[in-house]
Amino acid sequence: MMNRLRTMTAIGALALGGAIAQPAQSATICFAFQDLETEFWVAGHLAITTTLAEQGHTVLERNANEDANRQFEQVNDCIAQGVDGIILIPQDGESATTIVANAQENDVPVAVFNRPPSDLSRGIVVVADNATIAEQAVDFIVDQALEAADDDATLNAIIMVGDLGDPNAVGRRTGFFNAINKHADRFNVTEVATNWDAATGLANLEAALTANPQVDLLFTSSDFLFPTIRSVLEPRGMWVQRGEDGHVWMAGLDGDATACQLIKDGYVDATGVQDLFFEAEAAMEAILRAITEGNTDPNEVIEDPGFALTFENKEEREMDMWGCVLLAEGFLD
Amino acid sequence: MNTHEPAGDRPRLAVSPDAGSASGTAAAGHPQRCAARTVRDRAEAVLLSDYFVLYLSLAYMAILIPFLPVLGTPANLSNVLSNMWPLLVVAIGQTFVLTIAGIDLSQGSVAGLTSIVIAVLIATAAPEQVLGQTPVWGWLLTENGGVLAGISFGTWIGVLLVLVLAALIGLANGLAVAVLRMPAFMVTLVGLIGLSAFAIWLTQSNNLRNLPPEFVAMGRGTLVSLFFGEQYQAQLPRREVHAFVTWPMIIAISIALAAHLLLSHTVFGRRVFAIGLNRKAAEISGVPVRRIIVTVFVISAVCAAIGGLMYTGRLETGRPTLGGGNFLLDVIGATIIGGTSLFGGKAKILWTVWGVLFFVLLGNTLNLMNLSAFHVDMVKGGVILAAAFLDVSRQRLQRRRT
Repeated sequence: MMNRLRTMTAIGALALGGAIAQPAQSATICFAFQDLETEFWVAGHLAITTTLAEQGHTVLERNANEDANRQFEQVNDCIAQGVDGIILIPQDGESATTIVANAQENDVPVAVFNRPPSDLSRGIVVVADNATIAEQAVDFIVDQALEAADDDATLNAIIMVGDLGDPNAVGRRTGFFNAINKHADRFNVTEVATNWDAATGLANLEAALTANPQVDLLFTSSDFLFPTIRSVLEPRGMWVQRGEDGHVWMAGLDGDATACQLIKDGYVDATGVQDLFFEAEAAMEAILRAITEGNTDPNEVIEDPGFALTFENKEEREMDMWGCVLLAEGFLD
Repeated sequence: MNTHEPAGDRPRLAVSPDAGSASGTAAAGHPQRCAARTVRDRAEAVLLSDYFVLYLSLAYMAILIPFLPVLGTPANLSNVLSNMWPLLVVAIGQTFVLTIAGIDLSQGSVAGLTSIVIAVLIATAAPEQVLGQTPVWGWLLTENGGVLAGISFGTWIGVLLVLVLAALIGLANGLAVAVLRMPAFMVTLVGLIGLSAFAIWLTQSNNLRNLPPEFVAMGRGTLVSLFFGEQYQAQLPRREVHAFVTWPMIIAISIALAAHLLLSHTVFGRRVFAIGLNRKAAEISGVPVRRIIVTVFVISAVCAAIGGLMYTGRLETGRPTLGGGNFLLDVIGATIIGGTSLFGGKAKILWTVWGVLFFVLLGNTLNLMNLSAFHVDMVKGGVILAAAFLDVSRQRLQRRRT
């Protein structure tokens, strides 16, 4: 599976290669990431490392294993090694702010990939418009759920909330409520904390469903939780395909291969898509441009507008979603 | 009681047992045997020396520098020192507990709890959107920050409060071990789980920034930086200014000196060793065992708290998850590598200093070798195992020489 992913990513990398600005000489880039626990991070990691290597740059990889202090030390070690630039996937927004400031104080340009610092004013920050993407996905399932329900029925909605120390999680929660609040009188909302941890999400979702077994709509702040959700809903007879009695309208966010498969299978109805390849390309391009221009403290927010893939538009747009591309390459085989 | 005195420091007779042999062959072989014995004695002396791990660290650096020239650069040495200080403070606390043949697994969670409590008390601002649903919102923390924000000496009152909190945790641990005679492993394991969950509950796993600058200085404040000119290794010109004398350094060295005096030059220290060697014998000898054990756990918790404060200042963020992951591996590993015995009764603060230096150096060099986090942890685990084996060998050697 990983070989296929590598092949696919290499193809993607070659496709990206021509578009990215090149410094006068090959650069040494420190790629510091917090871990690779989801499909999104795995695919992002491969896209970045493969593309940079294909272009002749040296990549020093640093995996902090979800430890913010370790990441801080690893980035400092990279700076001591004389890297030209840093691409960072931080543990959280707060540690990102400290690390970005520290790198800039040492005259090293830094780009933050996908998980933004709590202070957006420093560094190159490539981030999805989480609130808008989430709102689009939730709008879709809200409309579907209301259409399928009686006119005066009040529906129960669940949101699986991420780690609210991560601005991505905050944005997704905001997007969810923006959509729900358009019909505030029609929904009771239960928030289930996950802290971006499948085991925590499982325990809290089980508790929420034990307290209130009736669920009409569920939004997960990340697609990586769908297997967890399935393991809770299936034994309760709530993992039901679209068009059948008891179907829970479901949406997620990320756009991974599992979500793509579940939309095709009819269990999930929509997912907000972050354009992983755009984000990877934007981060690499910006950091290489900063090196070329001699800019040690580039400050720029690059927004990925994203979109919502739904069962209605999947025929036209599925190949715009990175997870569906991976799926087509046999990622889940 | 001076059982922790390394045998390597004692005068030795260099007389061979074969010295009186009348055999011509033996006589001919005598100088070689003497030379071999002298080399072995010297090797044993080095192995038992207080400075063994320092020698090991220097040898390790000397071997690697030709392959990793960056290892000896001012930037990297500054990093190594900066990584060392907070870990040293926590490891000093663990040294006391290991000396009484105990273990303190709760140090990481004490550091995490300390980190988030101090942030809640002294932060100068807090986002309601993120923290509005937490149990501390509205009475300890508001949009204007913690209850001590903006108050004269508020930061230092906060620091004092969290140190008292840590001391109380240590007191509880110590009482459970000393009075209730519960195993230290179990008591502190419960502390590890319970305190960590409590810390996470306080802010619902959220981190807290906006800490006052005087507090941040505890973790990364610089007193003396050295300018080494422009660096041309990278494509972009870079100022080579590196911190060498920092507040964390001052704090850690002060604590190390105080701990050294306490452990090696006071009645209290001798009693700590006595308990570690044989608790029953210490009781019979009139050592106030319970009081000493409780005090040792208080010291350990307070050291963990100070280390937690230093890490918090360094990251400029209160984090309830601080001290999780492999933190305990680092603390216990560094202490054991230094030479402190897992079986109790054998420790020196100086050993812990060298152990932390070696451990930090190891992590640093593995990073510079571009190994992944998983490989780094595997190597660290192997080094800790080697250190434990070395500990056993040193004990055996010491027994043989005494």
